[in-house]
Amino acid sequence: MAPTRRTRAARRNGRPPWWTIAVLVLASITLITLDYRGGLNGGIGGARRVAHDLFSPVQRGVDDLLRPVGSFLGGMVHAGSLSAQNTRLRQQLEQAQRQALAQRTAARTLQQLTDLEKLEGLPSLSTIPAVTAQVTALNSSQFADTVDLDRGTSSGIDVGMPVVGGAGLVGRVVDAWSNGCTVRLLTDTNSTVSVAFAVAGSTAQNLALVTGRGHGSPVEVDYVEPGTQLTRGTVLTTTGLQHDLFPPGIPVATVTSATSSASATQETVTAATTADLSQLQFVAVLQWQAQVIPAGSS
Amino acid sequence: MTGADLARASFVVFVTLVVQHAVLDFVHVGGAHPDMVLLLPVAAGYAAGPERGAIFGFAVGIAADLLLPTPFGLSALVGCLLGYGVGLATAGLVRGSWWLPPVVFAGATATGLTAYAILASMLGLVDVIPADLPGALAVATPAAAVLALPVLRMVSWAVPEPTASAAASGGTTR
Repeated sequence: MAPTRRTRAARRNGRPPWWTIAVLVLASITLITLDYRGGLNGGIGGARRVAHDLFSPVQRGVDDLLRPVGSFLGGMVHAGSLSAQNTRLRQQLEQAQRQALAQRTAARTLQQLTDLEKLEGLPSLSTIPAVTAQVTALNSSQFADTVDLDRGTSSGIDVGMPVVGGAGLVGRVVDAWSNGCTVRLLTDTNSTVSVAFAVAGSTAQNLALVTGRGHGSPVEVDYVEPGTQLTRGTVLTTTGLQHDLFPPGIPVATVTSATSSASATQETVTAATTADLSQLQFVAVLQWQAQVIPAGSS
Repeated sequence: MTGADLARASFVVFVTLVVQHAVLDFVHVGGAHPDMVLLLPVAAGYAAGPERGAIFGFAVGIAADLLLPTPFGLSALVGCLLGYGVGLATAGLVRGSWWLPPVVFAGATATGLTAYAILASMLGLVDVIPADLPGALAVATPAAAVLALPVLRMVSWAVPEPTASAAASGGTTR
C-alpha cells in the first residue's frame, strides 16, 4: 500500500504516523479486555498452555546445562592464580563444604517430604489424592508471587487445585499445561483465603480473610471483629465452607501480631504463612476442586 | 521488513525469554529480579526509532504475556508504549557517549515498571504498587544499566535502523 501524503509528511519530520501506535494500543487493550471476559472461549488460555509446553523443556534444558558450566568456569577462573598447595587445600575445603551442603540440602529435602507426609495425613486431606511435584521456577513476573512446578495436566493437575507443602497451605494452581503448572502463592497480592480460628476459652469458630502482601511480607488478616482475643501463635486454618476454594482444616498462617484501637472497625492482625514459602522445593497438589456455584443462584 | 529481519527478531526474542526464565528469574533479591525482556522494546526504540520500537515492543510483549500469569496484553501495551516513547525521546540525541545507553535503559526500565504497576492496579491487581514496585525498581533499574550495551548490540543486529530507501517506501527515518 502506497503511503499517503500525511504519512509521508510525518516520516519526513522524523515522526512515525500516529496510527501505528494507535493501532497497537487498541490491539493491546482489546486483548486485555478479551482476557478479562473469558479469553476468547479459552483461546488465550490454550495459547498459553501451548507456549508453556513448547518453552518449558527448553527452559529446563538450559537450566540443567548452565549450572554445571557455571561451576566449572568458576573453578577455572580461580585455579590459575593459586599455588599448588593452596589449590589442593581449597579443593579439600570445597569438597568438605559441598558434602556439608549436600547433607544440609538432603536434610532439608527430607524434612520437607516428612512435613508433606504429615500434612497429607490430616483427617481432612487423607481422602484427597495428591500429586507430589518439584518447584522448577520462581516468579517470572515482577508483579506476581508464583512458582512453577514440574507436573501438569498429564499428571492430573488442573487450574484451581490447592497446593500444600512444608507445614501448610502454599497456594492454588492458576495455570496448567501438560508437563507443568503455575501456582499463585499465599503471599501474592492477588491471593485471598478464607480462614477459621478459635480463641482461648471459646469453642466457637471465628472467620477471617487472609490476604497476601507481596513476596517476603507477612500476610494480612482482615475482618477480625474488634475485641476478639486473638493471641500470637494462633493457627489459622482453611474453613471448608460451601463453595470455598480450599478443603477444610489446612493450616494457612500463624498470627504474629494483633492490635486494636478504640475506633477501629476490625482488629489489625498480621500472620506468617505456616509453610516457608522462601524454601519451597517439594509440594503436593491436591486433586480437589471447589464446588461450582450454579449460575443464577445467590 | 524482510523474512531475514523477522527471523533475526524472533531469534532474539526467543533467546531473551530463555535467558530471562532460565537464568535471570533465579537472580532473586527481595522477590525482584533483573528484567531483560523489558529492555528489548527500549533497545528497539533506541536503535531503530519509534515506529519499529513500538511494533517490536508489542511483539515482545505478546510473547512474554504467553508465559506470565499476569493479564494477557498488559506487557504488549507497556512494550509498544515504551518502544515508541524511547524512540521519540532519543531521536535527537547524539549517540557518541558510551554512558548514554545505560542511562536511557535504566530510566526507561523505571518508567516501564511504574507504568506496568499502575496499569496492573487499574486492572485489579491490588496493592502491586506498594508491595512489589519498590523492590522491582531497586533491582531491575541498576540491572538495566548493566545489561544495556549487550542488549542494545543484540537488538541492533535484529532490528536495524531503516535505510533511507526503506523509509521512503514504508520504513521510518530518524
